[in-house]
Amino acid sequence: MTHISRRDFLKVAGVALASLASSPSAFSARRDDNRHPNIIILLCDALSPFHLSLYGYPRQTSPSIDAFASQSTVYHNHYSGGNYTTPATASMLTGMLPWKHRANTIMTRPELIPINPYSLLGTDYFRFAYSQNPWPDRLMGQYYQDIDQFLPPSAYSLLKKDFSSQIKNLFRNDRALADVALNGFMLLSQGESVPTGGAVFGQIHKSQNLNIVDSQKLKNYPQGAPEISNGGYDIIPYLNEMVFSGIYDDLRVMQNQEKPYFAYSHFYSPHFPYRPSQRYLKMFHDDGFAPPEKPSPSFSPNLPKSYIHSQRDMYDRVIAQVDNEMGKLIKKLEENGVLENSYLILTSDHGELFERGFIGHSSLYMYEPVTRIPLIIHAPGQKDRKDVFALTSNTDILPTLLNIAGKQTPPEIDGKILPELGGQPDKDRAVFSMYSVGNSAFMPLSQFAISMRKNNYKLIAYRGHSNVDREYELYDLESDPYELNDIAEKDATMMKKMRDEFLESLMQANKPFERA
Amino acid sequence: MIEKIIAYIKNRFPDIKNITGVYAFVVFALYTWTLIVSFYKIPSWMLFFTVGQVLSTYAYIFSVNLLESLFVLLCMLGMEYTIFLPLKNKDEFQARSIFAAAIFLASSMWRLIQFQEYSDTSAFVSGEMQWWLYTAAIALPISVLAPKIAWVRGALQEAADRLSIFLYVYLPLSLISLIVVIIRNVA
Repeated sequence: MTHISRRDFLKVAGVALASLASSPSAFSARRDDNRHPNIIILLCDALSPFHLSLYGYPRQTSPSIDAFASQSTVYHNHYSGGNYTTPATASMLTGMLPWKHRANTIMTRPELIPINPYSLLGTDYFRFAYSQNPWPDRLMGQYYQDIDQFLPPSAYSLLKKDFSSQIKNLFRNDRALADVALNGFMLLSQGESVPTGGAVFGQIHKSQNLNIVDSQKLKNYPQGAPEISNGGYDIIPYLNEMVFSGIYDDLRVMQNQEKPYFAYSHFYSPHFPYRPSQRYLKMFHDDGFAPPEKPSPSFSPNLPKSYIHSQRDMYDRVIAQVDNEMGKLIKKLEENGVLENSYLILTSDHGELFERGFIGHSSLYMYEPVTRIPLIIHAPGQKDRKDVFALTSNTDILPTLLNIAGKQTPPEIDGKILPELGGQPDKDRAVFSMYSVGNSAFMPLSQFAISMRKNNYKLIAYRGHSNVDREYELYDLESDPYELNDIAEKDATMMKKMRDEFLESLMQANKPFERA
Repeated sequence: MIEKIIAYIKNRFPDIKNITGVYAFVVFALYTWTLIVSFYKIPSWMLFFTVGQVLSTYAYIFSVNLLESLFVLLCMLGMEYTIFLPLKNKDEFQARSIFAAAIFLASSMWRLIQFQEYSDTSAFVSGEMQWWLYTAAIALPISVLAPKIAWVRGALQEAADRLSIFLYVYLPLSLISLIVVIIRNVA
């Protein structure tokens, strides 16, 4: 047996400590050539590429994302499957379009539940889920059994007590129903245009939640802290600096896992209400920027232009703030070597509109700023920027993840492996986005607005809405990128071609829902 | 001393028929409110839930209603031994409690109708204290004084008797609902 003297021991310990100190950090990335890379998705809700300087927006809203893009692959024609959160996120997580997965409100079709990254990546991966937005949280509740760490929407928020999450955890075997019945009805805090169902417990809970929210008066946020209010059932006040920092801490812990990890973080900002901190409150003020005037459709609420412009300014400020936090997060991940063995995907669920008399998303508006979304992917060790101009869909994310993880892609998936990550551009591909909130999940689609992009052309089809004065719109995005001139009547040949392809696709999608 | 207190409480405790009458009113008020409001939600639930899932949703709803109704009844009994303690008239318990429950529940329901939207947050919070003070200022004197009028007391007792039919409908339904909730979460 070899004896180690005290001096030798101290020498070895000293060298070990010195090497540890010289490494990027004490929690540097685990490196194992045989293991699959980690996959990190950072999704910012309602982030339109039309408001990012990376994609050509005149305002410098995204310097940090621009810097990240210089070592990543930037997808320039990436579309969401839906124009609001639930179907859009479901398209990304299931690889299917909304007319198949039918998660128009909360859940996908029951038989499609096994098709999601958590189940398909399996136990080879440590699987993390976090959505600040309660809608994807409900959607991912279906995958509860396959998620190793599932944070509630209130994680890293200013809400100290989160009764909604406690209920979901209490009824974890029946999350969706319990959530709808209790959080969404009996104990509803706000915003469903129907009073709370529980006259006593509902009143008590509403009072408790809204009093906590109202007490969040912060010096750096003159307009109040940002709040998760969309379908939140409970209003959840939060600060981006806390949320991004919290997620970094989680990633840091996951980095030391024995196995690779898949981490999906869905940030609520820059979603409405747009409440930037004091530092960003005057940004872009009177900078002379004037967006192009666009015609309003028949279903426009015709909001005043001055209001739309002021809200656009606020939105851009929130983006600048989110960009700053995102930059700090990415920098820390880079410094700690996480990017050496991880795919980092930065994207959104849908865009946001400030035009044609309207603000927001989740409506009949299927124009580019709301259907197109940013997609920037950093591959492990990537040093140069690549640009992809082929049409891609957020249904492509799941098959791409499975390809990275060396897993089989189920045949039900509509998406394709992304170019530059194992896939090839498809010139003949048609990419769809849809809005069908009033349509039953069990019936053929009959009430909708659907856009179909193919090559340079974009068709928008409307059905079942009495306030729409036309069935189709057609745009040539190469000559008319702002969708100002509807050529549905002028270019009859192209119109027929696009309409026939759309109707054929719709018929195929509706087939499984037709009654025998 | 303790025996005296127990005897006093027993002596003041309203008889079970009167308690049942109060409970029948509370059950009627709470379940009716919930059912009416839920009818506005059914169309949206039917878009993504099957009929079986909608019925299971009602199992959760009725289970909460049951707990709510028991909570309100306990509050009424609690009031009888606190703020109404000096009245020393247990014959008026039923009318008194029904009046108090009716005014507080109506106030709560009206408040829920008034403040539904996200934009109502500040208004809901800022006027809350006054709202409940006004409600108490109306409810307590009426609850004390109205039962002194014989025909009012009689009418309320009559109404309570008639409303007790709802106990035969809602309570078994709630117990079945509780079982459904338990099964769905254990299975």
